[in-house]
Amino acid sequence: MARPILMPQVGQDLTEGKITALNIKVGDKVKKGDIVAEVESEKAVFEVEAFETGTVLEVRYKVGDMAIVLEPIIMVGEEGEVLESAATTGFSGENAQEIVSQAGESVTATPVELARETETAWLKTGTGGSSPLARRLAGSAGVDIAQITGTGPRGAVVKRDVEAFQRSRSGTASVLPFSGSSVRASGGALPVRTLQSGTGDPVVLIHGFGGELSAWKPFVAHLGLANPILALDLPGHGAAASSVATDFESLTAAVHASLVAEGIDRVHLVGHSLGAAVAASIAGGGNLQVRSLSLLSPGGLGPRINGDYIAGFLSSTSEAALKVWLELLVHDPALLPGVLVRATLAAREGTAMVDHQARLAAGVFAGNTQLFSIRDALLRFGGPVRAIVGREDRIFPSEQSDAVPSHVGLYRLPNVGHLPQLEAASLVGRLVAEAVRSAG
Amino acid sequence: MYRDALREAIDEEMERDSSVFIIGEGIAERGGSYKVTEGLLDKYGANRVRDTPIAEAGMIGVGVGAAIAGARPIVEILYVDFAMLGMDMLVNQAAKFRLMTGGDGRVPFVMRTQGGTGGGVAAQHSQSLEALFYHIPGLQVVMPSVPADAKGLLKYALRQQDPVMFLEHKHLYMTKGMVPDGEHVIEFGKGDIKRPGKDVTIIAWSNMIPRALEAAAKLAEEGIDAEVLDPRTLVPLDKAMILTSVAKTNRVVIAQEAVRRGGVASDIASIIQAEAFYDLDAPIEIVAGLNIPVPFNLELEKASVPQVDDIVVAARRTLHAKSFALAAE
Repeated sequence: MARPILMPQVGQDLTEGKITALNIKVGDKVKKGDIVAEVESEKAVFEVEAFETGTVLEVRYKVGDMAIVLEPIIMVGEEGEVLESAATTGFSGENAQEIVSQAGESVTATPVELARETETAWLKTGTGGSSPLARRLAGSAGVDIAQITGTGPRGAVVKRDVEAFQRSRSGTASVLPFSGSSVRASGGALPVRTLQSGTGDPVVLIHGFGGELSAWKPFVAHLGLANPILALDLPGHGAAASSVATDFESLTAAVHASLVAEGIDRVHLVGHSLGAAVAASIAGGGNLQVRSLSLLSPGGLGPRINGDYIAGFLSSTSEAALKVWLELLVHDPALLPGVLVRATLAAREGTAMVDHQARLAAGVFAGNTQLFSIRDALLRFGGPVRAIVGREDRIFPSEQSDAVPSHVGLYRLPNVGHLPQLEAASLVGRLVAEAVRSAG
Repeated sequence: MYRDALREAIDEEMERDSSVFIIGEGIAERGGSYKVTEGLLDKYGANRVRDTPIAEAGMIGVGVGAAIAGARPIVEILYVDFAMLGMDMLVNQAAKFRLMTGGDGRVPFVMRTQGGTGGGVAAQHSQSLEALFYHIPGLQVVMPSVPADAKGLLKYALRQQDPVMFLEHKHLYMTKGMVPDGEHVIEFGKGDIKRPGKDVTIIAWSNMIPRALEAAAKLAEEGIDAEVLDPRTLVPLDKAMILTSVAKTNRVVIAQEAVRRGGVASDIASIIQAEAFYDLDAPIEIVAGLNIPVPFNLELEKASVPQVDDIVVAARRTLHAKSFALAAE
């Protein structure tokens, strides 16, 4: 009744590890829980524990050998038992569990066969037999890359294979940015609400991805401006949950059209994150008279974004899960309003909000990449412009703000994360108000 | 033409700023071997447009010294190969001076020179040596590919407070292109998309740009839409533009005329793999010169540096397209 002690699988990508120590030799007694060997993966050394009690009948490797994951390192049986040597069936990861459970047969295979099988497995599981992009796309679409047939070099899975696989699965959303239908807001315009009435050119506040206009309310008092202050909901957000924008251009066009529909032709724009990028894009477009531009943690300054946040935010369905992701927005988690988690979940209830936000995300972000840039728009905008970012931003790397053109006033706030309008409300209010006043 | 654009930039800046002067071999009486400085002697006189003996170490030393003293010298070195005589002045003096004086001392020095292969001028007159300067912190490295960029970048160079290695290409002097009149200044560190595309990004500079564009035209016939990205300045490098382009196309070919080993292409590839790994759908292809001195024989010279078809083949590989033999020219 010889039973194997297997080389453990530590980490998804590990296919083999180096034996760095063997604490037993043939004939030794081992009991369950004993540390029988040490194995080294790329960066870590881990111990191999015996899950069997008995006598060591065979040690398949010596120190320095590469051991294959889920293959036996050691065979354990009764003292005096002779290991049958005639087994002809190969041993691979797929049938390891079965064999362990049977635990009745001795198992051998020639090293050559093992090597060949392992190579095939290696290609199939996509560790090296797929491009980094293909792995990322498959991962974000929740597809096991091993299911995908590769057409790249030596059968490697590449982007086009993931796309083809996605297309072949009916009823599932593509991982690719949607094209085609842009905005389907009822009546064409987004909801615009007046947060403060006043005189002069209006100040319009544009929230970021996953936000909504009402989140600006506490900030308005910090502005201390006499101008009318308005805010709007982006497609797929707040009261516009039922409308959709599927790329950056249509998002910008929807906001622009809504401002025009409100009769606004001269405006001060204040945006946060994705909303800041929309504001910059409108300002650079030159179709509206944008008097001043205030960008809080703007998107589009560089290619990077924390794609995990977007995925986690969209997929969280419980308060506990969503709270963990929302805490990434702020440097000090204590500043995160407790109600925000519940409010976000409640707003999703009974609406297509999450679906519409996911479609927007697929069109403007790809994994850790922002698919749009506001650099050219900023270069074209001649008015006063300020960018305010947190040094501890965990959504966009703070260094990315170095990319702002020289005429942009850049404020990098210490101990502030992705929500400067919340984390440093009075300072940000002052800076925005200065930008508005400087336009005269 | 490229050479006229360079002359326009020098002329306009000499007119604008009386501290700009130019020295070099045969640049005054003869108007320069590539006719870049033709006519400047008559206009600005021998004090500001001055012939030198064949003594590159001295010329570069004079230039760096004059820059430290507050002038704005342009030193024209006939071949970049000869700039090696002045490496101590460039590497140990010009590049270090600002740091070692705590920022007080500045070196507004521009070395204009040309490199690359061009019609069998052999191993000592054909090198592409940008990697040597690229390697040295403190030097800015500029490699214009078209006349408009040549003018805009040279005008910007002549307004900088730190040393600029302005590397032209002997093949490009006679190339044509529209050049904006007057105040046309191009900031360093801003790349230029010479041809937009969605399938593969070809990063190239200097004389590899016309070849990359020709390669892109051939690829277009096969239905491959290549983007040609010209960083224009290697130091500073427009990393953001490169990463944005890679995020769009997922595939990269980097073409440089310089030898493969220790080249700028390798460094750009390392930046892309580190910062855009999960955007890559294929290994980064580098098309570069062979690791040999450039041969004298014209056919061998051609074989030693990347040609249009080399770029085409590399681009196809990134798309995992079936490779097939190219018809011999």
